[in-house]
Amino acid sequence: MTAALDRVLRHESILGLLLIATLAVLAGQSEAFFTADNLLNQGRLMAEVGLVTLPMTFVIITGGIDLSVGSIFGLCCILLGVFWQKVGMPLPVAMVAAILMGGVAGLGNGIIITRFKVPPLIATLATLALYRGLAEGIAQARSVRGYPDWFFQLGQYDFLGAPTQLWILIALFIAAAFVLGMTTFGRTIYAIGSNEVAARFSGLKVDRAKLVIYGTSGLISGLAAVIFVSRVSTTRSDMGTGLELDVITAVVLGGTSIFGGRGTIIGTGLGLILMQALKNGLALAGVKGDGTIVVIGAVLIAAILIGNLLSRNGDG
Amino acid sequence: MTLQALARPVPARSWRVVAESYGQELVILGALIVLFVGVGLYNPRFLSSTNLTSVFVGNAFIAIAAIGMSMVIISGNIDVSVGSLIGVLGTIAGTLAVNGYPIIVCWLVPILIGVVINAVVGVLVAYARIPSIVVTLGMLSILKGGLISATGGAWISNLPPEFMLAQFRLFGLPSSIYFMVILTVAAALWMRYSTFGRTIYAIGGNPEAARVTGIRIERSVVAVFAIHGMFAGIAAILFATQLQVIQSTVPPNLELTVITASVVGGVSILGGTGTVIGSTLAAILFAAIGSSLVFLNVSAYWLRAVQGLMILATVLADMARRRRI
Amino acid sequence: MSDLIALSGISKSFGPVKVLKEVSFDVKPGEVHALLGENGAGKSTLIKIMAGVIGADSGEMKVNGQAVKFASPREAAAHGIATVYQELLLFPELTVAENIYLGHAPKTRWGMLDWSAMRAGARALLDSLDSPDLDVDVLVGKLSVANRQRVEIAKALSQDAKLVIMDEPTAALADADAKRLMAVVKMLRDRGVGIVYVSHRLPEIFALADRVTVLRDGAYVGTRAISDVTEADLVSMMVGRAIDHLFPKVDVPRGEVVLEVKNLAYRDVVQDISFSLHAGEILGIAGLVGSGRTELALTIFGITPATSGEILLDGKPVAIKSPGEARGLGIAYIPEDRGLQGLIRPQTVRENVSLAIIDRIAKALVVDRGKEAALARDAIARFGIRTRGPEQRVRQLSGGNQQKVVLAKWVAAEPRVLIMDEPTRGIDVGAKAEIHALMSRLAGQGLAVLMISSELPEVLGMSDRVLVMRGGRIVATFDRDQATPDAVGSAMTAAKRGQSLESAGAAAE
Repeated sequence: MTAALDRVLRHESILGLLLIATLAVLAGQSEAFFTADNLLNQGRLMAEVGLVTLPMTFVIITGGIDLSVGSIFGLCCILLGVFWQKVGMPLPVAMVAAILMGGVAGLGNGIIITRFKVPPLIATLATLALYRGLAEGIAQARSVRGYPDWFFQLGQYDFLGAPTQLWILIALFIAAAFVLGMTTFGRTIYAIGSNEVAARFSGLKVDRAKLVIYGTSGLISGLAAVIFVSRVSTTRSDMGTGLELDVITAVVLGGTSIFGGRGTIIGTGLGLILMQALKNGLALAGVKGDGTIVVIGAVLIAAILIGNLLSRNGDG
Repeated sequence: MTLQALARPVPARSWRVVAESYGQELVILGALIVLFVGVGLYNPRFLSSTNLTSVFVGNAFIAIAAIGMSMVIISGNIDVSVGSLIGVLGTIAGTLAVNGYPIIVCWLVPILIGVVINAVVGVLVAYARIPSIVVTLGMLSILKGGLISATGGAWISNLPPEFMLAQFRLFGLPSSIYFMVILTVAAALWMRYSTFGRTIYAIGGNPEAARVTGIRIERSVVAVFAIHGMFAGIAAILFATQLQVIQSTVPPNLELTVITASVVGGVSILGGTGTVIGSTLAAILFAAIGSSLVFLNVSAYWLRAVQGLMILATVLADMARRRRI
Repeated sequence: MSDLIALSGISKSFGPVKVLKEVSFDVKPGEVHALLGENGAGKSTLIKIMAGVIGADSGEMKVNGQAVKFASPREAAAHGIATVYQELLLFPELTVAENIYLGHAPKTRWGMLDWSAMRAGARALLDSLDSPDLDVDVLVGKLSVANRQRVEIAKALSQDAKLVIMDEPTAALADADAKRLMAVVKMLRDRGVGIVYVSHRLPEIFALADRVTVLRDGAYVGTRAISDVTEADLVSMMVGRAIDHLFPKVDVPRGEVVLEVKNLAYRDVVQDISFSLHAGEILGIAGLVGSGRTELALTIFGITPATSGEILLDGKPVAIKSPGEARGLGIAYIPEDRGLQGLIRPQTVRENVSLAIIDRIAKALVVDRGKEAALARDAIARFGIRTRGPEQRVRQLSGGNQQKVVLAKWVAAEPRVLIMDEPTRGIDVGAKAEIHALMSRLAGQGLAVLMISSELPEVLGMSDRVLVMRGGRIVATFDRDQATPDAVGSAMTAAKRGQSLESAGAAAE
């Protein structure tokens, strides 16, 4: 194994050990934790966030950020219901259309960022408001229910003994890890995050790569939205509020540098599982749902603080 | 031999220069006038004193929070946790009030806590070098989660009448309006005439140059966040005392509204420019737009979409302007 | 008279690279002391130590006879030292008056900023610098380079500086502005201010300086009274040996025309450029900073696509809209700023060398790691890159070896045209010679090389032909045997007629 890869994987090893320790403590705390039922159920619950962490890892490695994923998620939830019930599309068509609209929304971010050179933080902060506003405006506070039973296969039923969405997450996880780690596109992503100017001067297609990742971010947020609607059987315009926080926390916890250039999909996976384990473990230990987000916020700050203290030798 | 002795009289600032440096403020003022005249013509009830008062009173705290936010953004940082902070501080104020603490304590302690919390944020940003977006994202979830798990979202009622600062009136006008105007003017003067005010602009405009000029960037950033915490505290007191009850949750999307007011008011998100007068005007503009949707028979559910479009348009205009400089 | 500032035995290293070795330097009141040396000789580092931006590793610094150690620029300023940096550290969003007084503004009785005193003071300072036309209320971001420089100097004066350090103050100025600046320097000197004057332009140094100190590769070469030296003396002090030995240009038979450019323009920064470049030829472009040399390279390479004119490769017109297209057509660009534009410094030698051809060593979009590692090993051997191996991070290499990595990256792309912008900036003499040898070898293999350089000896030593640019245009062309330092130098700096560089500089921002 090469020295470079070694160093990249060091964070993942620490995280892996931390995860094992957490799981051990949680298993000791509560009998209910280490049961197949609970673990599979956790897999179901983390699928939506997990899906969105994959493109977010790409986005953050390029040195960008996408704060609008929660709003795109909410918009796609609403659009699914509207396309199906109001526009009268067949449900499968409505599902595809909603996901595609997510892609369009993400592409909108990409265009604002590449074409108008708006910093990603600001661009997606603006579209966070805009997309959520569109969701609210279109929904007019009405929710859409009454989906056919087959639709719930995606979010509520199992496939080959595990929740359907968990299989989707695993498949996309492997695909994302492959693209980021092995392909020229992945190499482009790291190059952009480490030195965008040099990447451009080396003839890499920087703008196109950014359009692809922000577009994909929207697309996957749309997919997560459809799965979520299938899981909870209804649509509301406030769905996905705060999703970006969970997603960014998982990615950053997984060792991706918020300054760009560094990070892996494996790390993101570990970060995601650790976060879900903490949530679940705290819930089983009697902490109410809102208490867990305190822990997540603290873990987010602590993770970066420790990361900064450990990597003071970087040259910025 | 002093230079002043040699000096010829300095010509007054030309109108062009003044208009340029307050460009965004003038644009918003124009938009406000157009809005009031236009909506007023369509539906005169919009201009009734009851409606105007409610527009101002209900949103003065946003303008006040936007003053601190503007300073933070001018210094080149951002704070996405201000909504949660206002929720937490308002709840603390109310809890103190119903437990019979002296009113002055109920007002001052939350402001002090706001200063301390944000000073911690400032230390994490300036000395631990964590980007402000990350620190405040984390802080958002800590404050929000902490608030809801501590109170369960319970309502605080039976607040003593002397605690209700926002409901006091002077010469027939609610105190919120005085607070908004006085704090805005004071902050604007302070930003222009104090050394520290100019330092904030310098840090946001060109951090490297600021360092070489000998400005203590870390200290200043902590101070900016602490001052922002003070404004958030004042905003929280006004927010908590405008109704007879305090719902101990975080007002949804408040941080976004506050950031939007700053940005639309001409505070460049890249740091270094903008004034607090602009952010206050923008906060009033938003409130007026929200209210006018009702009078124009447009569903209020479109409000955020309108806000989103405005923020986007302003950011794009800002980028275009920067490329010209 | 006692020294305003005296440094002795100053050394400084950045990581493994020693940038200053036992340097001594002093300035007396009312004296202009020039600091001379090639790029990378250590001038900037020495300036930064005097200005308190960085600290020396060893050595002694005395101000007015007292030993000092500056922990920050603020302390240097308190000792009466002000610096006018080359990159002009101003605040674009603040007004002229504020920029001048930032950090030490006049206050009213209540401790608030006294804007009227500030504006009056700024006005007086600018008037005393012979700039009555500069509005004190205008934002600095809207000023031209020359005017910003006046603001910087006014800022230095406003601090009542006893010692003003000027880092290449005329580098980006048109001649008229440069003359005005020199008048200001003389005025300051006559007021008793000590001045450290860094410049490449020898005529300026002879016109202004009382003494001159030469640095080479971080080492102190010597200090002379200006009346005791000739230009030739200074050049040989700077370069350390005769120019002929330094540049191993091998004569290569000139091949076919590879690249031809006709009336090429980019906005008003690059105008009406026509030339042709043959296989095996090294075509040098000389010109001052801001003359449009780099902008021309960026236009050919597709970073700033041409706004008019034609580019022909092998006689066929091509449209180049992005660096990717330029690369596809066989054009490579070794950029001016290695750290910012050339390298991904946190990544490894392997990842950097393969960056420009990453899609060519991939099978179905999957990077072939074996091929990539072989490429990197090959590059290390071929270019003599001193590194622990392909997996070492580029930021840990010395400047010269970093430049070889950039060169290896682009040679791997098998280009037909190689544009090199300041190919040896900031690297030591030994590595410089190696880069020159590589350049010569590549030309010998039939590559067409376009070389941009600020260093006249390099241009004259390496080029088969020399183009001189000024104000965005080609103003002169010389064959190798006609290209004397005098002829090229005067073409670079000749006074402009009818057009000022200021407008070009402003448009470039």
